[in-house]
Amino acid sequence: MNFVLQAFAVARKDLAIELRTKESLNAAGSFAIVILLLFSFAFDPGSDETREIGGGLLWIVFAFAGALVFNRSFARELPNECLDTLLASPLSAASLVIGKSLANWVTLLVVEFVSLFVFGIFYNVSWVAHLAPLAAVFALATWGVSILGAIFGAITVNLRLRELMLPVIIYPLMIPLLIGAIELTRMILNNEPASPEELLWGRILIVFDVVFTSLAVILSDTILVN
Amino acid sequence: MREKVVIALAAAAALLLAYNLYQIFLVLPDEALQGGIYRIIFFHVPAGIVGMIGFFIALTFAVWYLVSGDLRHDSLSASIVEVSVVFTTVNIVTGSIWARIIWGAWWVWDYRLTSQLVCALIFFGYLLLRRAIDEPTQRARLSAALTIFGCVDSVIVWKSIEWFRNNHPGPVLTIRTGGGHMDPAMEHTLSLNFLAILLVGAALALVRMRQESTAREIDSLRRAAHV
Amino acid sequence: MEARNFTFMFYGFLAAWLIVLLYVVSLARRGTRLAKELEDVKQLVSKRD
Repeated sequence: MNFVLQAFAVARKDLAIELRTKESLNAAGSFAIVILLLFSFAFDPGSDETREIGGGLLWIVFAFAGALVFNRSFARELPNECLDTLLASPLSAASLVIGKSLANWVTLLVVEFVSLFVFGIFYNVSWVAHLAPLAAVFALATWGVSILGAIFGAITVNLRLRELMLPVIIYPLMIPLLIGAIELTRMILNNEPASPEELLWGRILIVFDVVFTSLAVILSDTILVN
Repeated sequence: MREKVVIALAAAAALLLAYNLYQIFLVLPDEALQGGIYRIIFFHVPAGIVGMIGFFIALTFAVWYLVSGDLRHDSLSASIVEVSVVFTTVNIVTGSIWARIIWGAWWVWDYRLTSQLVCALIFFGYLLLRRAIDEPTQRARLSAALTIFGCVDSVIVWKSIEWFRNNHPGPVLTIRTGGGHMDPAMEHTLSLNFLAILLVGAALALVRMRQESTAREIDSLRRAAHV
Repeated sequence: MEARNFTFMFYGFLAAWLIVLLYVVSLARRGTRLAKELEDVKQLVSKRD
């Protein structure tokens, strides 16, 4: 119980900072919209095939925007030795990682729904009817991405070239998650009826989330020890 | 003592390779459907398997380091990862060349090639991470963490991409099909070359590990001298 | 087709050997660099003492 409370405390702190400064939200949000705009020049945005590639497009945008969010997540603790203070506090390393992951998750979800809204307008894709399944997919997949971002944000926080190393390391690791999210989003946007395939990808997302959250909790002490 | 082991391994590997090359080029006939290009399999498959096994052996040593704190385990883990990345690259490049003839394209997004590429990228990231950290204990710790994540993820990558895409040739080796799919002479040569490549890999990893301990020696001398 | 097949097989083997050879060369270079650095540091330490 203590662990959960600690994680929520960390998440609340990060989200409070985020609400006040809005730096990650603004950066990631603008970045997402700009990429959606750029992609509109890469192919014909109004056509039917947009719904086919829509899933892929959205999740690539989310992955890139996510990198911005994750970089900030631990980096903002560097000035004034905040990170050392956090590690020296009674907070367990695991709750720090999970708390930051929670904050990333919420921030990224906000960016994702804004992007979805813009995507629907730019690319003439209707998604409102599918809001519930889309929200479920977004929530599951974004958690996987966030936990990876949090744990590897912790790993790379003190490195030079941090902004480059973090995406290079986590993107290959995220691939099964992204494939699952892309396929599910594509199926939902295309109005395909529920199929065993969907269940399969859903299971992969859940397995990914469970496995990597467990690994992150187990290894958080090793990674964040002072 | 270690030099002797490396030389012995290298010599054994060289002999095996010479024998196998003789077999591959002068004894075995062309494959019925593929022609001469199939001979690449004798390096493509063993390199891929040795690479994959290597990553998991490195995982064992990474976990052992986390338990023991002995930096030599970290050195061995890193050396094996490096050699495995080289062999995985060989696997990908030779696979691509084979694909150009057989499937008509330099790259095909089938599940095995794609998964191998993802694994190679994950552990290439590992090599980049190691270069970015100077402090040996921190480097060892964080590398071990990445190795654990990387290997677990590789399993998930393989399984998920397999469901996602599939047009690589199916299993032909006897251990997977129970016999009858591949000419026994070819399979024999394949197994021998697997052994040869394993020996080469082991020799390279040992050389690399020796270099890691030299680096640690330099490090500790510097620190003792406050340089 | 036969000739092309053979050419590509040759490329394949060449690629495999070249990659390993490049790695061995890079290992050798790293080895000599490390040995030299070790010598330098040892000299530095002995000069100090």
